[in-house]
Amino acid sequence: MKLAACVAALLLALGMPIAYWLAYATWRAKFLLEAVVALPLVLPPTVLGFYALLAMGPHGPLGKFWYAAFGHGLAFTFGGLLLASMFYSLPFAVQPLMNAFEGVDPRLLNAAAVLGASPWRRFASVILPLSLPGMVAAVVLCFAHTLGEFGVVLMVGGNLPGITRTASIAIYDNVQALQYGEANRMALVLLCFSFVVLAIVYGVNRHARRLWTPWTGR
Amino acid sequence: MDTVDREIAAPLMARVRKARAAAHRRASLPPLAPPFVLDVTLEIPAGISILLGPSGAGKSTLLDCIAGLVRPDVGCVRVGQDVWFDSQKSIDLPVHQRRVGYVFQSLALFPHLSVEQNIVYGIAQRAPQERSQRLEEVLQAFGIADLRGRKPAEISGGEAQRVELARALVTDPQVLLLDEPMSGLDEELKAGIIADLRAWRTAKNIPILYVTHSKSEAQALGDRRIVMRAGKVIDQPSAPMPG
Repeated sequence: MKLAACVAALLLALGMPIAYWLAYATWRAKFLLEAVVALPLVLPPTVLGFYALLAMGPHGPLGKFWYAAFGHGLAFTFGGLLLASMFYSLPFAVQPLMNAFEGVDPRLLNAAAVLGASPWRRFASVILPLSLPGMVAAVVLCFAHTLGEFGVVLMVGGNLPGITRTASIAIYDNVQALQYGEANRMALVLLCFSFVVLAIVYGVNRHARRLWTPWTGR
Repeated sequence: MDTVDREIAAPLMARVRKARAAAHRRASLPPLAPPFVLDVTLEIPAGISILLGPSGAGKSTLLDCIAGLVRPDVGCVRVGQDVWFDSQKSIDLPVHQRRVGYVFQSLALFPHLSVEQNIVYGIAQRAPQERSQRLEEVLQAFGIADLRGRKPAEISGGEAQRVELARALVTDPQVLLLDEPMSGLDEELKAGIIADLRAWRTAKNIPILYVTHSKSEAQALGDRRIVMRAGKVIDQPSAPMPG
């Protein structure tokens, strides 16, 4: 839960500038960044976890930097798990945000600009409020996706109780130990939680679409 | 009539050339439509100038160049002594720093803001007292005071058009650009809005460039007429016509 909440909050902050840039930049090679952001969607989590582990290991660039800065390694710590989880869930933040930003009517941005709004004010007063459903979707999807992740967590975080053990790994442990009752209880909680989260996302989106439909009666 | 506004009124001078294929809109302002080829030299004095021409003549692109939404390849855009764009001197004032009022061809009220919030959007930086005074002025002038708390989705087409005009004019722009602002409205609504515009033209003596296909609008509003075809001005009066 702690990991999922941290990942969702940090990815909302990190995902917004990336999504804004992807939505509005005219740079021709931006498809390369789009591909990098979407990589975790197609890569097996173990592949991602493996490279994350190498990068965070004592000989990896990230591990060396972390050791020099904080005096300890990054692999098998909450910080390392957080970093890997953020990369793993990045598309779940960037895609809904990017879709929401691209969905803002360009006429509104032009209207705001001729009314004297700077790019920052256009973002804060037009793009952001009209992208609220996308932001809600980004947060809940990141939260739910992180809650259910398994491969990356196992590779990078291990299974340290209280530090890097996540719900999905705890379920796996219970099944291995033939404690089906406990595994079932946790799995049911995750199932219900995921359903509620998705219901909220779809409900908010439907409500927002009805509320903020631009005037098109001409 | 406001004598101060009459004193500061300055003509708009636009000499712009633009090829279709060149990069156009600002990065953070996504393109609405590809701009047309343009090769235009215009001087627009205070008062209403009607811009006529067939679809694809480049009328909207010219307005976009003046507002700064489209960057011309070469040329300059000046209002009195203020230079908004000059390709030779590499001057290109960002859209939000040009004091321009612009009503687009299709309505663009902020759907998440009330009528009142839409109108004060362009004067948010001003002192609260001045802001509320200006708001009341335009609400009364355009007869939309009873709509102030409503969202754009809750008002009619004619009302939305009035709110758009009020929002563009409340900022006291140096230049007003109106791109077919009344297309799709019935004659009764048009007459009301034309009366609003005529009253405003009398009070605020600024250059107003008004694009329309309607002869009745042109006759009712135009101090002078400019005709464009295929990106060029083919007819414009050398001196303002009597109003």
